[in-house]
Amino acid sequence: MADGTAQNDVLVKVEGLSKIFKTADGRTINALTNVNTFVDRGEVVAIIGPSGSGKSTLLRTMNGLETISEGHIHIDGIDLADKKTDMNALRADVGMVFQHFNLFQHKTSLENITLPQTLVRKRTKAEADQIAMDLLRQLGLDHLANNYPSQLSGGQQQRIAIARALAMQPKLMLFDEATSALDPEMVGEVLDLIKGLATDGMTMCLVTHEMNFAREVCDRVIFMDAGELVETGKPAEFFAKPSTDRAHQFLDKVL
Amino acid sequence: MLELTLQTMPFLLEGFLNTILISLAAISLGSFVGLVLGLGRTVGPKPVQNIIGLYVHLVRATPFLVQIYIVYYVLPTTKLSIFDFSNFMAAVIALTIYTSSYTAEIVRGSLEAVPKGQWEAAAAVGMKMRQRLLNVILPQAWKLTLPPLAGVYVLVIKGTSILTVIGVVELMRQGEDAIHRHPAHIMWILFLVASLYFIYCFPILRGIKYMEKKIAAKGARSVAGDAQW
Repeated sequence: MADGTAQNDVLVKVEGLSKIFKTADGRTINALTNVNTFVDRGEVVAIIGPSGSGKSTLLRTMNGLETISEGHIHIDGIDLADKKTDMNALRADVGMVFQHFNLFQHKTSLENITLPQTLVRKRTKAEADQIAMDLLRQLGLDHLANNYPSQLSGGQQQRIAIARALAMQPKLMLFDEATSALDPEMVGEVLDLIKGLATDGMTMCLVTHEMNFAREVCDRVIFMDAGELVETGKPAEFFAKPSTDRAHQFLDKVL
Repeated sequence: MLELTLQTMPFLLEGFLNTILISLAAISLGSFVGLVLGLGRTVGPKPVQNIIGLYVHLVRATPFLVQIYIVYYVLPTTKLSIFDFSNFMAAVIALTIYTSSYTAEIVRGSLEAVPKGQWEAAAAVGMKMRQRLLNVILPQAWKLTLPPLAGVYVLVIKGTSILTVIGVVELMRQGEDAIHRHPAHIMWILFLVASLYFIYCFPILRGIKYMEKKIAAKGARSVAGDAQW
């Protein structure tokens, strides 16, 4: 860099992020309090923590599904807290995979993958079909191209949902408990797919309860509790010897 | 009886034709306005949502008889030329307002019945609000509107009978006139009038049942192919 500092190639920068929800009876809940973190390009980050810790909220603020109460998130230099930011354009570059897949129920597998491409990326139907079929073939799902979501298993639906996001050629992929709603025998096929993406160098943030997966595949772990980022570190170090009591207690329970 | 029937039928049918015209106009206009209002109430800015909410509640919480009096008798007293309607026009306007308020609530309910995950997935891939609605939400929501809409349409058709109070020549009005001429046959004439309403309304109720079954049978394939918005 020009100023001589050794700078990592930061893709996501979270600064002083707070999220305050108002409940129906007028109480306020601090879902996130002053969270500071980053994700480098090509990095795979696991966000873990007890339920209600704010990990999903953190992930959802990264593509504007939750608004930012205070602080900033920059993705590739674009400020999500800026009212002038075109959130739809940003979301086209940030893929999101949901716990419950959320495939468009009235569309086939193929149409699920082509619809965002034609509408948002303005690709022709032929181009979109080509990209979608290539992805389906890579995932070994091309025989299901014309099936509707209700005719697919959970694992198949989730892999189609991942393909839908990948077809947009995102800079960043967000996974919100992508395997939590799956039957145990289907978790593997989805995790294998995510592992493959990691190998290919995709930048990813995963909210996950799969500790072994986080340990094996992720470059870094973020531990959250009660809306705060408590601890972050390399998986090997974090899982072997967490530096905070809260992380220690959490790991005792889940491992 | 046959003679009376043959004698009064053309007279009743003349009214029936107006009943059909007025109800069809009100149903089509009211449904369109209701769709727009329902969308505005669901995805519009907060102030717009509130204004539409007020409209919907005002219309739904007051009797149609009062509304038709206001449209036909009260509005013209403002002396504004746009409120200078014929009774036929007043009837269509009042029924359109009535239809739109119910339709707006049905549309809102159906939009909200589409799972939140569908809205989020559509947003998450970068679709604009209009694209989300047209390509993801409405194709799934519209079939939910059919059964309750049929109910409202039948209410509207039957509601045209109230228009007799502003002198619109519709089926009920013609029935009343026939009764004045043949007071002894009030039962039979009312039976004929009721039969005509029934002939109009029953197929709508049956037709919706049929569509519901068809949609259910198609299951997940639903209306994917033919619902190109």
